[in-house]
Amino acid sequence: MEMLWFVIFALLLAGYFALEGFDLGVGLLLPVLGRTRETRDRMVAAMAPYVLANEVWLVAVAGTLFGVYPLLEGRVLFGLYPLVVAMLLSWILRDAGLWFRRRIDGPRWRGFWDAMIAFGSLGLSFGWGMTLYAAATGFTASPVHPLGLLLGVVVSLLFALHGQAFLGWRAPGEFGAARSGRALLVSGLVAALPALGVLAGAAPYLLEHTAPAATLNVLSVMVLPFAPVILGAQVWVWRTFRPGKDAFRVPSFF
Amino acid sequence: MDVLDLARTQFAVTGSLHFLFVVLTLGLAPLVAIMHTRWARSGNPLHERMTRFWGQIYVVNYALGIVTGLVMEFQFGLAWSGLSHYAGDVFGAPLAMETLVAFFLESTFLGLWIFGWGRLPRWAHVACIWLVTLTAYASAFFIMVANSFLQNPAGAVVSGDRLALTDFGALLTNEALVFSFPHVVGAGLFTGGMVLVGASAYKLRRRALEAEFFTRSLRTGVVTAAIGIFLTMGFGYAQFAGVQEGKWDNTGAAIALGLMIEFGQLLGLIVLFVMLPMIRNLHRRRWTHPILIVMTPLPFALAILGWVAREVGRQPWMIWGKLTVADAMSPGLTAGMVTASLVGFTVVLGLLAVVDYVLIARVIRRGPQAPDLGAAAETRSPALSY
Repeated sequence: MEMLWFVIFALLLAGYFALEGFDLGVGLLLPVLGRTRETRDRMVAAMAPYVLANEVWLVAVAGTLFGVYPLLEGRVLFGLYPLVVAMLLSWILRDAGLWFRRRIDGPRWRGFWDAMIAFGSLGLSFGWGMTLYAAATGFTASPVHPLGLLLGVVVSLLFALHGQAFLGWRAPGEFGAARSGRALLVSGLVAALPALGVLAGAAPYLLEHTAPAATLNVLSVMVLPFAPVILGAQVWVWRTFRPGKDAFRVPSFF
Repeated sequence: MDVLDLARTQFAVTGSLHFLFVVLTLGLAPLVAIMHTRWARSGNPLHERMTRFWGQIYVVNYALGIVTGLVMEFQFGLAWSGLSHYAGDVFGAPLAMETLVAFFLESTFLGLWIFGWGRLPRWAHVACIWLVTLTAYASAFFIMVANSFLQNPAGAVVSGDRLALTDFGALLTNEALVFSFPHVVGAGLFTGGMVLVGASAYKLRRRALEAEFFTRSLRTGVVTAAIGIFLTMGFGYAQFAGVQEGKWDNTGAAIALGLMIEFGQLLGLIVLFVMLPMIRNLHRRRWTHPILIVMTPLPFALAILGWVAREVGRQPWMIWGKLTVADAMSPGLTAGMVTASLVGFTVVLGLLAVVDYVLIARVIRRGPQAPDLGAAAETRSPALSY
């Protein structure tokens, strides 16, 4: 049972990196590839239908952390207090940018929220690199360490490349070379590698600190029957918004 | 303020902001789902415009519900790690279920609903908004399970220096839960109804072109508000049977409770005995419209008072009779840390909340002509770059 919930936890975290990674990547690329308002609109429209289904993987990671590893939840989050607060604020600004950018017409309004999307995406991506460094040291070292900062740069670059692969898959030829679905899958796996590496290293420690059997049983009985629904909903998103004729429309809600 | 007061203030500010948006989400979700269903059945353009207009208000409101909710979820680990250390084996389970079973699906289906316009088959699209509603209520249920455990720690025993889960069923049938959950649901419906009423009264008062649209919305709002306040009052009083002894010895909680009951009853009388009997010609009684507009914020204020009564009344306990709030605070937390995060969250979320309300007011002022939600795709014109 411990093993099963470790696999679920690892899947959720790696899934977050592979899925939300390209949303953050597109956000990072907004100031780079989106020189005009119209290109930025199309970049955001390309990722918009996926964002709500992607970012929620991290919410699930946090919930699982609380339910399955209650002894570690406080240690991890409290141990990185300033970093977690900064990442939360980045996430909030990124989301607000997406929800608000099209609510009022006007170049300055949209430009401001587009900047928030880019800024928030950068804060989150960079923060993840530093978090992974701190996790790799068992939360003993400060994340503000040259290696932590380097990992921040690496994760941001991986996400940006993944974002570009996503744009190439969803809007072939519009923002660079067309990419196949297979190429997107590969860049997703690469984006998830840092998280998978840390998870592999932390596995024995996590397994040791799993909640007792009574709690896991309740979680299994309540959650596992919904696993097919959760997966089905994700598949439905990818089927509905796959590229092709009428792949993405402008104006998009985001 | 010492560090404990600061951490409590942070939870109170972010929690209150969160619930201001959640309470309207709970009220509007079923209404939008019903409007969408009627549109799907009848094909009537009026129903389509109602779905898109009220749906737009629903999703703009939802944005702040999400971002404030993120802070709520992570705040437990940031400032209250003593809670997960002592009771995580029990308290963590409903929170994990909320994220995995409820919110995960809610967010996924909401994305499908918003962006699936004109792309999903008609009934699949309707199914999405019903699934969003269902999972939103499931979310509220699991959060109330977790909160009720703090009020009345049923289903757990002390084992060593921690709590162990012995009976999950007892968490679901907790006497602090069975009446408080429908009370919250009623408050949500009441709030959603009153927002329909207030916004429609505003448009009718301005003699907007859409008289039929807003007359219908006004009636839907009155009926919803009447059902909502009836449930809220009934299940509100029912809760007194299971309340912890000594809860109302706390002056702050007692004042909040008193204010909520007095003003809630007054509003209940107005809704049930004035607005409901007048429902047929309320749209023509123009003198009522300014009053209806002014009443719109009241359900929000009452909802916050309710939470203040419930949560302040729990003090000094985090888990009633088991763990104090002081012991639940993360060991090593400093006033500087909390001050910095409190300022950051309050400023950012406070500003975003103001912007969100301005945007909602703007949607209402502009009326149901061409809302962003469900806008048809443009035929692609040659790229205009500037």
